Amino acid sequence: MSEQQLFKVTIDNITIEVPAGTSILEAARKIGGEVAPPAMCFYSKLKGSGGKCRTCLVEVSKGSEKDPRPMPKLVASCRTTVMDGMEVKNITSPKVIDARAGVVEFLLLNHPLDCPICDQAGECHLQDLSYEHGKEGTRYEFQRRKFKKYDLGPYIQLHMTRCIMCFRCVYTADQLTENRVHGVLDRGDHAEIATFIEKSLDNDFIGNVIDVCPVGALTDKTFRFKNRVWFLKPMDAHRDCPKCSGKVTLWNRGEEVFRVTARKDEWGEVEDWICNECRFEKKHSSDWVIEGPREISRHSVISQGHYVHTVTPTETFKAVNDGRAPHLLLDIHTESDVNKPEIELSLINGPAHSNNFNSK
Amino acid sequence: MAIKLLLEKAHVQGIRTYEVYRREGGYTALEKALKEMSPEAIVEELKKSGMRGRGGAGFPTGMKWSFIAKPEGVPRHLVCNADESEPGTFKDRYLMEFLPHLLIEGLIISSFALGSNATYIYIRGEYAWIPDILEEAIRDAKAAGFLGKNILGTGFDCEIYVQRGAGAYICGEETALIESLEGKRGNPRIKPPFPAIKGVWDRPTVVNNVETLAALVPIIKMGGEEYAKIGIGRSTGTKLISACGNLNKPGVYEIDMTISVEEFIYSDEYCGGIPNGKRLKACIPGGSSVPILPANLLLKTAKGETRYMNYESLSDGGFASGSMMGSGGFIVLDEDQCVVKHTLTLARFYRHESCGQCSPCREGTGWMEKILKNIETGKGKMSDIDLLWDIQRRIEGNTICPLGDAAAWPVAAAIRHFRDEFEWHITNPQEAQIRNFGLAHYADPIHVPVTA
Repeated sequence: MSEQQLFKVTIDNITIEVPAGTSILEAARKIGGEVAPPAMCFYSKLKGSGGKCRTCLVEVSKGSEKDPRPMPKLVASCRTTVMDGMEVKNITSPKVIDARAGVVEFLLLNHPLDCPICDQAGECHLQDLSYEHGKEGTRYEFQRRKFKKYDLGPYIQLHMTRCIMCFRCVYTADQLTENRVHGVLDRGDHAEIATFIEKSLDNDFIGNVIDVCPVGALTDKTFRFKNRVWFLKPMDAHRDCPKCSGKVTLWNRGEEVFRVTARKDEWGEVEDWICNECRFEKKHSSDWVIEGPREISRHSVISQGHYVHTVTPTETFKAVNDGRAPHLLLDIHTESDVNKPEIELSLINGPAHSNNFNSK
Repeated sequence: MAIKLLLEKAHVQGIRTYEVYRREGGYTALEKALKEMSPEAIVEELKKSGMRGRGGAGFPTGMKWSFIAKPEGVPRHLVCNADESEPGTFKDRYLMEFLPHLLIEGLIISSFALGSNATYIYIRGEYAWIPDILEEAIRDAKAAGFLGKNILGTGFDCEIYVQRGAGAYICGEETALIESLEGKRGNPRIKPPFPAIKGVWDRPTVVNNVETLAALVPIIKMGGEEYAKIGIGRSTGTKLISACGNLNKPGVYEIDMTISVEEFIYSDEYCGGIPNGKRLKACIPGGSSVPILPANLLLKTAKGETRYMNYESLSDGGFASGSMMGSGGFIVLDEDQCVVKHTLTLARFYRHESCGQCSPCREGTGWMEKILKNIETGKGKMSDIDLLWDIQRRIEGNTICPLGDAAAWPVAAAIRHFRDEFEWHITNPQEAQIRNFGLAHYADPIHVPVTA
């Protein structure tokens, strides 16, 4: 008898074995790369989250080994658990691609697209989502929905206009803090996240709502308009904190600490929750034990030029397309001596020069 | 004369009170069920009757009941869905207002069959006067020993509670209703788990429509097999239809699902035709969520056969040329009505009632309303029609609950069948402000291709 039953699930022609009870999304994340559906509202650390944004819709082309019928509708992969022998189509299904483009368009309908003045730019999930899955332009010709900005206490500002109603901050407050004082008012396209008459959010762990917010609706008031995130250098650091794990990422420019956030994994989810004191009040390098630079995906704008530890994404297209490699029109390495993959640009001191590539 | 099972005694003087209802043979089905039948036998009778849920989806009720989980030591609940908010539907209100004891009797039988000791009636907030009627009926039934502890000496305990909603259409969706009943914001839950496994307070729950539960009384009285003989095919028993719109005699009618749509609209026994000699233009046969049909497709199917008032015939042809029985809200539009304006009204309703939880419905319903408003006020563009089609296509099926589908279907059907009326609104913006498109060709006989 095995303690844990393993289910075999095939996502985009890649088969993986996962424990029973795993969601399709989490199974896809184990495969990684493009196979993992995007998620705007699901947060693996928050119980009950997910199912709302509909960006992670996938097609189930075979229900399970026992019941091979396909599911009639696209399903939210974050809230659907895998069955043994299930076959899922994500990027190989035109229906999914189309539905996802539709969801992106819906999410952007009332979004102000004020990225140039938004503090979240560069680490915004909605930016990534629309860049990867959206279409150019919108067909919406009406006035966008607007709200007033609210200060929720001394540290957090709520800019509802940017909100996509993922409910993550509500779950965070519910599950992390003792007394939730904010929630959703009203309904439909006029629903808003709000406190009772601008009551401030006052709680030791409430700062985490800033980290879970996928867009720039909840921002750190101690960081607003101070800097763009891609000019900052994220460093892992820790301190002995009596309230939380004390494991954070410092965002430095030179010696100056501009902001402190929790450490985020490759799916943009925090690894450990941190307390308000660590986040808002310890803004000197001397407060922290620096561990070293944080690994950031090469695809992220934050990694521009800073990094030694770049993570090269695994190529999933080959696996998805039954082993066929994407058709290359031109392999740059056969044409040019520049851009040699073995030369690490970030290790070069100062601007790169042709001498750096003349290794022959 | 049509068979009446539910509304047979509706016009008896004082039927709302316990004494008259009892005198007229009330609570005999309950006595029969509790004394002579086991819970399993009741479910079996219900399965034999083939009755389909009267709330809109038409799922066989016996089947639904057999899905309920029965874990040891966990209470089960029955919830009566009286949150009747679909525009055009008012049959449950009629039933509760005039025959409250019929519902209570059906509820007690159902509670016995399902093993629910605490049963809830979730009633919409706008029906402000009905909770009093129901609570009076519950009080009288309890005084007569049909509720409370050890009912009729069978050892079965049951209490019925009336819970008022706060006026949200979405709370008619069963999982949103459960959330609201628990005292939370009425957002639909993500299924699975289904309420039959985890419903109210994570306990196995069955949610049924008022009419469905009331129909338990005639089913027990006459037996499932007899009940199944009424009606036709898989549309067994009788159905309440709430007819409204341009009709001489709007109101609630009980039909046995064998009459044709034409007979229902024009015969004197039912709606009595359309006032002022106007002609029929269009009709929504089952409440605002189901597709609208033009007159020619309403009276005859695409194959040229007569359309009947039952589940199968109304949905004949799928969404391409058919509609649905839905909840029985029969809305009739005469030749003076504007389908564009009508669609805008519905779109506005769904936009207002969307819970705002999932993105396609939250953003899409508002977008559709704005585009329709533009077309209606003469500011539309030709591309708007295709855009509307594209929006509804991307809402349908991609949402948590069926409200997204319900918002998409009326728009889709209006464009499918009345596209030229939309185009006329766009090409003649000034004229469209002062007169209507009229009947046009919507009642013309359909060309049926003849195969040799």
